[in-house]
Amino acid sequence: MKTINYTSLFCLAIVLMFSSVSQAQEKFFRAIGTPHEPKVEASWNRYNTYAGIVDLMKKINKAYPNLTRLESIGKSYEKKDIYMLTISDFKTGDPDEKPAMYIDGNIHSNEIQGAEFSLYTAWYLTEMFGDLEFINELLKDKTFYIVPTINPDARDNFMKEPNTPHSPRSGMIVLDNDGDGKAGEDGFDDLDGNNHITYMIRKSPTGQYIKDPQDDRRLIRVAAEEKGEYEMLGYEGMDNDGDGEVNEDGIGYYDPNRDWGWKWQPDYVQRGAYKYPFSLPENRAVADFVMKHPNIAGAQSYHNYGGMILRGPGAEEDKDTYNREDVRIYDAIAEKGEEMIPGYRYLTVYKDLYSVFGGELDWFYGGRGIYTYTNELMVSYLYYHKNEGRGNQEEELKVDKYLTFGDAFVDWKEYKHPQYGTIEIGGFKKNFGRAHPGFLLEQDAHRNMAFTIYHGYQTPKLSIINVEEKSLGSGLKEVTATVYNERLMPTHSSQDLKYKIERPDLISISNANVVAGMIVEDEDFNKVKEQVHNPETLRIPNIPGMGTVKVRWIVSGSGNYKVDVDSAKGGKASWSK
Amino acid sequence: MKQITAILLLILVQSFAFSQEDYPDLKEISKRLKALDKNSNVDLSTLTKTEGGNDIQVLKIGKKDLDNKPAIAILGGAEGYHVLSVELALQFAERISTNEEALDKTTFYVFPNMSPEAYAQYHNKLKYERRGNASSLDHDRDGKLSEDPYEDLNNDGIITQIRVQSPLGKYAEHPEDKRVMIEVDTTSTNAARYKVYSEGIDNDKDGKFNEDLNEGIAFNNSFTYNFPAFEPLAGNYAVSQKESRALLDYLFQQWNIYAFVTFGPANNLSSPLKYDAQEAKKRIVSSPLEGDVTINKMISEVYNETISQKAFMQENMGTDGDFFQWAYFHFGRLSFSTPGWWVPEAKKDSTSTSETKIKDTKESNFLKWAKQENLEDVFVEWKEINHPDFENKTVEVGGIKPFVMSNPPFSKVDSIAIEHTNFILKLAQHQPKLEFHNLKVENLKGGLKRITVNLLNNANLPTHSELGQRSRWLRKIRIDLSAEKDNIIAGNKIELVSKMDALESKSLSWIVKGNGKLNLKAGAPHTGFAELNINL
Repeated sequence: MKTINYTSLFCLAIVLMFSSVSQAQEKFFRAIGTPHEPKVEASWNRYNTYAGIVDLMKKINKAYPNLTRLESIGKSYEKKDIYMLTISDFKTGDPDEKPAMYIDGNIHSNEIQGAEFSLYTAWYLTEMFGDLEFINELLKDKTFYIVPTINPDARDNFMKEPNTPHSPRSGMIVLDNDGDGKAGEDGFDDLDGNNHITYMIRKSPTGQYIKDPQDDRRLIRVAAEEKGEYEMLGYEGMDNDGDGEVNEDGIGYYDPNRDWGWKWQPDYVQRGAYKYPFSLPENRAVADFVMKHPNIAGAQSYHNYGGMILRGPGAEEDKDTYNREDVRIYDAIAEKGEEMIPGYRYLTVYKDLYSVFGGELDWFYGGRGIYTYTNELMVSYLYYHKNEGRGNQEEELKVDKYLTFGDAFVDWKEYKHPQYGTIEIGGFKKNFGRAHPGFLLEQDAHRNMAFTIYHGYQTPKLSIINVEEKSLGSGLKEVTATVYNERLMPTHSSQDLKYKIERPDLISISNANVVAGMIVEDEDFNKVKEQVHNPETLRIPNIPGMGTVKVRWIVSGSGNYKVDVDSAKGGKASWSK
Repeated sequence: MKQITAILLLILVQSFAFSQEDYPDLKEISKRLKALDKNSNVDLSTLTKTEGGNDIQVLKIGKKDLDNKPAIAILGGAEGYHVLSVELALQFAERISTNEEALDKTTFYVFPNMSPEAYAQYHNKLKYERRGNASSLDHDRDGKLSEDPYEDLNNDGIITQIRVQSPLGKYAEHPEDKRVMIEVDTTSTNAARYKVYSEGIDNDKDGKFNEDLNEGIAFNNSFTYNFPAFEPLAGNYAVSQKESRALLDYLFQQWNIYAFVTFGPANNLSSPLKYDAQEAKKRIVSSPLEGDVTINKMISEVYNETISQKAFMQENMGTDGDFFQWAYFHFGRLSFSTPGWWVPEAKKDSTSTSETKIKDTKESNFLKWAKQENLEDVFVEWKEINHPDFENKTVEVGGIKPFVMSNPPFSKVDSIAIEHTNFILKLAQHQPKLEFHNLKVENLKGGLKRITVNLLNNANLPTHSELGQRSRWLRKIRIDLSAEKDNIIAGNKIELVSKMDALESKSLSWIVKGNGKLNLKAGAPHTGFAELNINL
């Protein structure tokens, strides 16, 4: 009696609590596809500085301690922590033993939205857990390792210091770019003090340009026989070291995406390589983490610009690394991605873009056998659902006039330059062009996330679907177990198999007296391959995607034996008699 | 009398301490490095501690403005089993550290031992030719760590070979020296055939012997040029080890190095590398460039004039992931390598009775030579043992002892070290040398002055290797005139020159305003600097 009383009191309290909450929320009606009552309030129409990213990660971690782990995987060059959120249903197994998807963004510091897309993924998965059966299942089976920015130093520099849309791109190590023995002695100068590096133009009798009489933001080139009014002087800056060059030695320059340990090449083969693979601390932190987490089976890195889902190889010289079986899986996932993200095309780096040696995706796949894509975020298509190409000035001016109402452009303004005399400064701001305008950010984040969820979903999932017993007489039994991989990806990509990157999968029997053990290659015609040494634990090179592997033991005696599968990238499964 | 005894005793002790009879162990090396560090021309520093807890050290040897003089880097211990290389590097350091004249012009970096753990195996209880460091590496990538190392089956403290009589074998005894195993071919008659393995047991019963050793990554397998990814002793990616990273981090900060001399298995000094136009034109440059091969040829001639030993079976022109090729292909410096010593060609054996012409193998030549030199203790006679993997079969342990084919008897080392020190000194004499000549100051109207001067590279080597010109890690020659920018009417205040050939000169001129003294400076750390004071 007493118990009931207490219980009913407790229920009453709960009802009261919830009714007050729901009263407060009555202002809103659920939109499909979006967390409705998020514990962590977040806006997906603006960008976060490093501090903003860390703040949001901490909030997510605090709100969902059973779904997330927050850790620093290492320090950047400027000693900032590189934070990772691990997302999985922690109550259903060790997240580091589940097949995992790794996601990062912002390797190029000016390619900022990858961090927001990664954060959106972390936020969405945690907020939707409990709401959607699919997400519950996903986080039960899989783990997502999410590092929003792997270039925190220069991300902040891009945002807080004067930059173009294309700078710094590298991290904050300052190198000697012109070979004069001085490092970083002549970078940009923010002459008009607006925190954007725009263009300098100057009136000149030999100038080839005029301002468009109908839109004076626009410079147009005159016909060869016509006289123009302006000449272009390049990005805002001065000759700071007196060598007659302007802006020739700023931050960097090196390319963090030429620093990875697969077929790495030095700087003279491709400008941008640093000293040796993982000579940049940010990349080393990622590589160390990946080396210690063989459960990562899929990976995604976010860049901008161009609306692309990219796979390797980065260079023609590495063509043979990608063989047909793996390309088939790459194609299947990415073609689905093209449907999910309108305006994005599935391309191959070396063929459709340019050559990259030692890129991140090359190492993830070539060096670790992980199926990996790079998405080049933002594309002209998102503005008017037409593809007007990269940096189309006409389109961008139109966007700024009709959609962002002048927010994207710094109007030309006169300035007295110490070396050039009277000039004008103006042009598009650093946060326009490559970066999504706020109103396009959330949709594209969601679509790209959906693609990574599909990718993560297709990492291997193993189960023991059948164990059959047959008596062989004289106390001997033949036990045949079938292990099924119910997803697209095999436990070992063909690159992995070629170099034996990960250990074989282990299928073992315990609590049984094993006389012999073998892999069944063809059950119908009894083609088997015996493993003489240590037959209790059969070493299986690979469990194919959407396929099965059969193993067999001859055991003596009786007992309640148990069969276990243990795969680095496929997770674990077991069966008991 | 007592005093005399004490002095005698002291002399005796000292001579014991200083007359080494064998290659030094790590402790002795450390002692010699510390002794060197006492010299004011020498600065010993530690770059890192290896996974095995050994210091990786460098000696920076030179005088005054060390960082702005052209420098040569000398590296020993590229391979741990090549104990000679460490001694050569050490002796070079010891000899050069008091050579004031050489140090006036050149700075030397000596990395005495890059493979301390592998090196230590020479002195360990169990001796074998080791390459790997102390890190863990699953060499055969089967998911099991170092499950199949060597075993000393005959308990002699050294790892040699086993041979198993078997019709399935691919080896037979050498007709002239039955101790040596040679591969059988179709001309072989009905000689007994053997299987030959390194000394050990097939611990994991995979049919392979000693394929997953108790050692880690080999220094000389771990660099970025043609890195042999996933191969035994190489690891998952290039420059993965503390010592390789620490070395490169250090080298990338030493802008004055223009040449490397690696004491290692590769040899581009007895004869130069070959130029392959097609490979050189690839974007992943796979042949030394033409101009650099010319340099290699010239330096090779210097080497052969200085070193008394004649080349014999010196075919190693670099192997995948080695240091010597990295220094050229990925660091853009002139890079030379020599083992320092190799097994010489044995004199023809006049007593040979064999009618068929049997080619000498490396092993048979070695044994012949060893006999002619009266070297004992180089071979373990084949002796039958019981082997668990080959029950009821005749299994013997034996073979040439480790180390003896890569390292000469210690008594020969001093003369080798002296010759190689001389070679490096000659290499230093060819280093880039910038000089100003023919300074002229002409008075123009209105107080303007025209300055003209020639800059000469007074050396047999260019300032930049052909490949080095492409690298950002070699600085350009920078010419600075101290005049105020506004006072320079014509000419550059700062001018960058990407290369000057051997004996190339370049004329420079300025028109300047004003009087007084100006300073003109030209150079880069690896070429040294020329300076000139100009009175206007």
